Amino acid sequence: MNAQLTLPSAKYKQKVGYFTASLFVTVAVCIYLKYNPFLIFADFTPIQRLLGEMLPPNFSLLWQPTIGKAIAQTASMAFLATFYGCLIAFILAFLTAANTMPLKFIRLIVGGFLSLLRIVPPLVCILIFIIAVGLGAFSGMLALIVITVGMFGRLFTDIIENTDHSAADAIYSVGASRLQVIRYAILPQIIPSFIANCLYAFDVNIRVAISLGIFGGGGIGYELYMAMQVLHYQDAFALICLIIIMIVLIEKASDYFRTMILGKEKLR
Amino acid sequence: MTINDFSPKRYYKLVLPTVGLLALIKLTAWVCGAGFDKLGKGLLQGISFVKIMFPPDWSAFPEMLEPALQSIAIAFIATVLGTLLAVVFAIAAASNLTNPIVRNITRFLIGLERSLPEIIILLILIAGYGLGVFSGIVALSLGCIGMLGKLLGDVIEEIDHTMIESLEAVGANKLQVIWFGVIPQIVPNLVSLVLFRFEINIRLSIILGAVGAGGIGYELDTSFGLLQFHRGLTAVLIILVMVVGAEQLSQFIRNKIKLKGALK
Repeated sequence: MNAQLTLPSAKYKQKVGYFTASLFVTVAVCIYLKYNPFLIFADFTPIQRLLGEMLPPNFSLLWQPTIGKAIAQTASMAFLATFYGCLIAFILAFLTAANTMPLKFIRLIVGGFLSLLRIVPPLVCILIFIIAVGLGAFSGMLALIVITVGMFGRLFTDIIENTDHSAADAIYSVGASRLQVIRYAILPQIIPSFIANCLYAFDVNIRVAISLGIFGGGGIGYELYMAMQVLHYQDAFALICLIIIMIVLIEKASDYFRTMILGKEKLR
Repeated sequence: MTINDFSPKRYYKLVLPTVGLLALIKLTAWVCGAGFDKLGKGLLQGISFVKIMFPPDWSAFPEMLEPALQSIAIAFIATVLGTLLAVVFAIAAASNLTNPIVRNITRFLIGLERSLPEIIILLILIAGYGLGVFSGIVALSLGCIGMLGKLLGDVIEEIDHTMIESLEAVGANKLQVIWFGVIPQIVPNLVSLVLFRFEINIRLSIILGAVGAGGIGYELDTSFGLLQFHRGLTAVLIILVMVVGAEQLSQFIRNKIKLKGALK
């Protein structure tokens, strides 16, 4: 910008102000944490050493039955949690949505419950469920259900509230009961997006299931954590490859089913 | 289609998937060792345990503040650095700015990162750099690439192309095109995505803390591990306040930007 011709505008000054302030805060926080962002670019020796220990990955580990069981556990944790979580979220969403629940205090109570579930961190869930039902895939699954309900309850409520009201009004005016209105006017509108969201939930839950495994939820995450803890880096690297393949495959499958279901619904 | 329609089409569309789903649920429940009897017993135990946790130990509150601040700081730095990284990756992944080979390689890297949960990146980094804040920040910053890189890359691909063309026509080089033609157009989307990512990072920093990145997650995990449940409850309450605070803050900033139309 040429200062002789145009002075910096107010907007420019404001932008520079924002930029300087955020830069200042960032540097201050870096100093507070004693964190040097350039260290990762300057010092490659730890990663080099680690790669040396990790390669070649010990793929023979994957033929052990424990690993197969761990994968099955992670997948079934995610599946069950998606199923029950989406089911509960679905029912609660009908109790929260303004066009299906006439009583305001029930709406408020259930809505507050959903918001509470949404802010409870996964870590707290898993720690409590481990004490309640013991270590293993079951506690991980229960924690995942809570997380799923929290994540998707609000979303389903919004979907229900955003449905077209004219169909509901029409059949309500000819004497349909509230349940009939839900069955014949609201359900057909929301089923496609509900199924698409369930598939998305499964996608997310697989990742969370792996993370929860590390805290004692069982499954492949736990195996990986154990391999890392006892410094069997070659095993760990094989497990990481396996996890990546699993997640990518499930993502592709969920994408495929989603387009299939949504496409079919559009055709109808 | 009526209720009493038992045609083969309905059979294939409804009955078979339902039976398959039920069988799958049974199988997966068996693999997980899940069951409603266990759930009932567990819930009673869980409720009595939550009762034990009360009241929170307020004397631990002052010493929890420092780790909480650390968690927030980790999330903040990781968001800032991760955004810088993600913008670079997004530009390299946009089809209208780079050649197809670079784009495909970058998209592949982004996809690879996205399928790797942050906690696994952290485990690898801990093995390399040891426990501590450093590993946590790097893991979270790398985690930004997967999400922000992909979303921003899509945003860049949809920007108005005339601006880039006119800049190129008056002789701007690649860097100038990006700085004056691309960045101003993506800033509104960028800010809203980054705020969203900051919320996620706050949650993740708590989880990563428990594995060994430090901060309030570590406090929570150790107090549960040492069976100091009143102390643990204090940490839980602080975490809840942090999560809600981050959400409110990002909502506030988002509204303010929308109202003022600043940064446009």
